[in-house]
Amino acid sequence: MKGYNGIILEIDLTSETINKKQIPEEDLLNYIGGRGLGMKLLYDYLPEAGVDPLSPENPLLIMPGPFSGFPIPSSSRTCVVTKSPKTFPLSKKYEHSSTVSYSNMGGFVGPEIRFAGYDGLLITGKAKKPVYIFIEDDVVEIRNASRYWGMGTDKFDKYFIEDLRDRKFESFYIGPAGENLVPYASVINTAARAAGRGGVGCVMGSKNLKAVAVKGTGMPTVANHKDYLDLLEKARVSFSEDTDNRKFWRDEGTTGALKYSSDRGSQAVKNYSEGTFEGIENLATESARKKIWKRDFACFSCALSCTKSGYAKGAYGTMVHDAPEYETGTMLGANLMIDSLEGLAKLIFVADDYGMDIISAGNTIGFLMECYEKQLIDKDFLDGIDLQWGSVDASLQMLHKIGKMEGVGKLAAQGVKPLAGKIGKGSENFAIHVKGHELAAWNVPAYEKTGISYTTANRGACHLNGGDISEQDGIAIMDSLGACAFAEGWYKDELHYRHFLSALTGLEWSEKEFDKAGERIFNLEKMMNYREGFDRNDDILPERFYTNKFTMGPKEGAVVDREEFKNKMDEYYEARGWNKETSRPTDEKLEELGLGFLT
Amino acid sequence: MNLSTEQSRRNFLRTLAIGAGGMAVLGSYGFIFQEESANGEIKAIVVDFTKCAGCRTCETACSAYNHQVEIDGQLMKGLGNPDLSNIKVWHYNPDVDIPVTCFLCEDAPCIEACPIAIDPVTGRKALYRDETFSTIKCDLDRCIGCGKCSKACHEKSGGVIFPNKETGKPERMCTLCDGDPQCVKYCPYGALQYLTITPDMPLRNTSPDKIAEKMIEQYYQGY
Ligand code: SF4
Ligand code: SF4
Ligand code: SF4
Repeated sequence: MKGYNGIILEIDLTSETINKKQIPEEDLLNYIGGRGLGMKLLYDYLPEAGVDPLSPENPLLIMPGPFSGFPIPSSSRTCVVTKSPKTFPLSKKYEHSSTVSYSNMGGFVGPEIRFAGYDGLLITGKAKKPVYIFIEDDVVEIRNASRYWGMGTDKFDKYFIEDLRDRKFESFYIGPAGENLVPYASVINTAARAAGRGGVGCVMGSKNLKAVAVKGTGMPTVANHKDYLDLLEKARVSFSEDTDNRKFWRDEGTTGALKYSSDRGSQAVKNYSEGTFEGIENLATESARKKIWKRDFACFSCALSCTKSGYAKGAYGTMVHDAPEYETGTMLGANLMIDSLEGLAKLIFVADDYGMDIISAGNTIGFLMECYEKQLIDKDFLDGIDLQWGSVDASLQMLHKIGKMEGVGKLAAQGVKPLAGKIGKGSENFAIHVKGHELAAWNVPAYEKTGISYTTANRGACHLNGGDISEQDGIAIMDSLGACAFAEGWYKDELHYRHFLSALTGLEWSEKEFDKAGERIFNLEKMMNYREGFDRNDDILPERFYTNKFTMGPKEGAVVDREEFKNKMDEYYEARGWNKETSRPTDEKLEELGLGFLT
Repeated sequence: MNLSTEQSRRNFLRTLAIGAGGMAVLGSYGFIFQEESANGEIKAIVVDFTKCAGCRTCETACSAYNHQVEIDGQLMKGLGNPDLSNIKVWHYNPDVDIPVTCFLCEDAPCIEACPIAIDPVTGRKALYRDETFSTIKCDLDRCIGCGKCSKACHEKSGGVIFPNKETGKPERMCTLCDGDPQCVKYCPYGALQYLTITPDMPLRNTSPDKIAEKMIEQYYQGY
């Protein structure tokens, strides 16, 4: 089909076989690419339910979308799809029951995969020794990576490209956290662009795969060349206008949300016990601009440049690849009551360098700080670390322990759910996760939609899931196209995504079919979770949100009303066409979506 | 879309001036190309490295214009495969991006290195400077694909020539897009301009590695 290469590159690291596999047209039509197509392939390749996510059988999929590689503004995104090593149902149907996982990254590597002639990579098996995969158009090789094992992501990023002797290569890779199988290890590209969530780096590490380098010289063809050029021109003109929206991204990136969120009482502060952080000014845009930021940088063909890099001086002097942005600035800042910008920058650098998900890491450290404050654990438990709120040094020590899977780090690496299970004494009530996946930087109590976003996300707690059905299905589509959510505002009306997809493929995508594809993808994920044993009992908010009242800020006193939230959830399942008791999509719904094979 | 209005030009020159004053990094680097126009003024494409965000839109715009396709008998821009672009944005860690295209060096080491004899009629070697825009062009009939021009460019200047994989003949020399540089037109950050300059500006004919080193020093204290 036009707009696609039509090929998935399959690499099995156990048998060292490489296979260029034709993608059935039907799958492209139904699942589009990126996250959607990745899920369908995951479903096809997982031999059965209950597969151990860290076993060679679990496929790791690197999925750009049909937009990736075309210079359609802000369409560089790539989804990493796999079975999650990070989630658990309340009652385990299988020993290794877990949800699907998908994690999205920007940068340049997704487009490059498409230039090399593929619509995705599907990696299975486990290499005997550390390896990296080398891809230059048709040439695909599995190469020794022993000399890189143990190397932090920043250093690796520098050395690897030198060794490849060609700066045209793009790559993605894991750090020591992934090698050491930290369940929330991330996949990194271009120094600090992360597919952070859902343990995708852990799965990569379990395959003994340090990195993938790719360079390509081709490009997929398009069906309606002229339509495509017209749309592209219009999109470029609309992006070139200095709208407030564009200014926001260019001037502040997501950092702008630090103060915004704190001011509206929606930030994760002090392990989610507060929604507003008194020290926020120290971490926010103005401060970062004054003290750290030197330049903005953008992903492939993007006019927004939300990423800011620079250098932090002082005792914590550190290179800053992209910090602080909203999630990292909150999770290792406000959530830990840390208000030293340089200290925060250092923490972010170190976590990225280990290649771990900063959201889960920050959430977990916050949980331990609270346990320590409440004397549910002592210093011995923490290997002597004095883990006080606001301590940069103690947090740094924790990150090192986690990245190395050493002592208490080995426990903390498992995340808050297993930790609470071990510590007990009521700590479950403030272990902030859904399905074992830690919540991100948006706090819940005053914002019900955020709660829905977290409880119903198919990878476990997710802030990017969308707070209602249409948002959720829309985001599933964006993740499948390779489009960046930050640019969504531009793709409306005559510039709607579906027009681009129609021009690329030559198929007329109606609004209805387009929305249905999003719904189909979301339901496929849901069914994969359901067969692992996740049901309505797993779609629950942490207890804290029902009982803990904020003591300050505009939402002082806010809590989630238990009954009201339950009703909202009822409405959600009904509107989805899912069984209210179990949360399983009804057979009629599945048939309607062309998912009859799941009934 | 095109930013080269009088106003934006003035703003741009102001940035240049600040750069020269030592506040911002720009100014000092970055002439990608120069051309002598009819009235003797030199026009060049200038990169403001402080503005470049490394998005590579310029590559796609360059490629689309310089590799057009025929659709239903009509010539149209191509899809913009960046691999075919004449401008290349080189990325480094620590994060800097250095867009480089043919500098049109006055001494043109590439032409200097070309071993094909000067044609007495045209006065040209196989590699030659075209009169219209002072761009470097290759006479594919005479070129033997020895790769010496490319080697010279990589050793002595920006390293912009890449020999064709099959024929070894030079490619990726900037065409200036018939006087309407597409990279300038489409850069979303106003990092590229087509400007009148003075010939004594420093750091021309410099490799991206060296420019990157300077930028890294400036931004990240050489981290
Ligand atoms: S289009 Fe402009 S900002 Fe983007 S890489 Fe090229 S010069 Fe830099
Ligand atoms: S040496 Fe390279 S940069 Fe200089 S004129 Fe020749 S091709 Fe252009
Ligand atoms: S002026 Fe034209 S040919 Fe030269 S680099 Fe810019 S877009 Fe490419």
